[in-house]
Amino acid sequence: MALLVVGISDYKISNNPEDVLITYSLGSCIGMTVYDPVTKAGGMIHYMLPLSKIAPDKAVAKPAMFADTGVPELLKQVIALGGSKSRLIVKVAGGSQLMDQNKIFNIGERNFLVLRKLLWKNNIMIKASDVGGVISRTLRLELGAGQVTIKSSREEVEL
Amino acid sequence: MNMKDQIVARITSFPTLPVMANRLLRVINDTESGISDTAKVIQYDPALTANVLKAANSAFLGFRSPVNSISEAAFRLGTKWIFQIAISSLIYSNLKNPIAGYELGDEKLWKHSLSVALMSESLCSLLRVRDAGTIYTGALLHDMGKIVLGEFMASHFDEIQSRVDGRGISFEKAEEEVMGIDHAEIGALIAESWRFPGIIVDCVRWHHNPDEAPNITPAIDIVHIANSISLMEGFGFGRDELQHHFSDNSAKRMNITSNIIELAVSQTVMTLEDIENVFKEMPASKGVREVTK
Repeated sequence: MALLVVGISDYKISNNPEDVLITYSLGSCIGMTVYDPVTKAGGMIHYMLPLSKIAPDKAVAKPAMFADTGVPELLKQVIALGGSKSRLIVKVAGGSQLMDQNKIFNIGERNFLVLRKLLWKNNIMIKASDVGGVISRTLRLELGAGQVTIKSSREEVEL
Repeated sequence: MNMKDQIVARITSFPTLPVMANRLLRVINDTESGISDTAKVIQYDPALTANVLKAANSAFLGFRSPVNSISEAAFRLGTKWIFQIAISSLIYSNLKNPIAGYELGDEKLWKHSLSVALMSESLCSLLRVRDAGTIYTGALLHDMGKIVLGEFMASHFDEIQSRVDGRGISFEKAEEEVMGIDHAEIGALIAESWRFPGIIVDCVRWHHNPDEAPNITPAIDIVHIANSISLMEGFGFGRDELQHHFSDNSAKRMNITSNIIELAVSQTVMTLEDIENVFKEMPASKGVREVTK
């Protein structure tokens, strides 16, 4: 088994059923897994910010920093690896915030909102999500069984 | 001795910083000091000189010809840059160790601190706030009280967390209720024992509660906002996770917009990746140690 660590502003793909994709320390960032249960092609992204218009040069260097550049790139790569768009199972975690946070500065909420719009436009459903709160999360995808788990300081659950 | 006294007593055995740190802070605070003064102070310490040159010649900057001297580094990269590298390398050894009590692994506190310092620097430049070098230093030190409080955390964490869960108070507020003092106040006491400038002490003391500071300054607001963003973005979470407040008043005072926040995030994440590896394997500065008290 190879453990592929997805860093902050990073994405990784694989179709090796032995591989496990993992990302740590999801706060207001969003971690998203996509997985085709038939071909076992899948991927994971850990993006920080909703829209790349804030810093287009950074989006060129690191597309996975933003939802609007990173997510389409991830989908494209997973499909190129053998995933079928109609079969893709999408799961989402993260989008936390600080306590009683004002909406304007709530990057987590905006991160999730932009993702939902983007997927909706592409006719892709979110199968499951665990978003919000004041916790940090670790997200894990096992490519063999397609199992997605989320671990926080208090518990580990299957998504 | 009650618990608070026991904790405060531990501060006296907290490692001191090389006297070089105070010297650097004096020249960077002095607006009349040019490139040469900061460079001169760094040159005084061979290990510090080596660290700054190593950073200046590291791959991420990609200079074609090597940087051979501190004054050349100052000329090519700016006084502020060599100051940041120098002060960071002096503070690194104090922050690099894990803190089991907060579940902060190897270099986690260091990475979080560095991210808040770089975020502060980015906010200072976007908002045109002065004293960026001093604020950078305050940001770097804001959580050092966790090193002391972490030793007492194991036996009190459950009580602290149950108060957070039960009443929705912030983690540092619960620290104060349960242990008599929070990590921000401890950090401020350490900074005071080092005879650091008041502006740094204030940044450390009020980083979670800027509105409660008797004299609210942009420095305090910057470090509060930088720390809040850094926590949100997941740069070095501890056991307290995101159980802290973000002050809307702080954001209003500084005219912060979501654009500024996102711009600061995008700048910081790039710099952080480049810079965090530079400090590994750096030798400790052998500057004269200042004896406190």
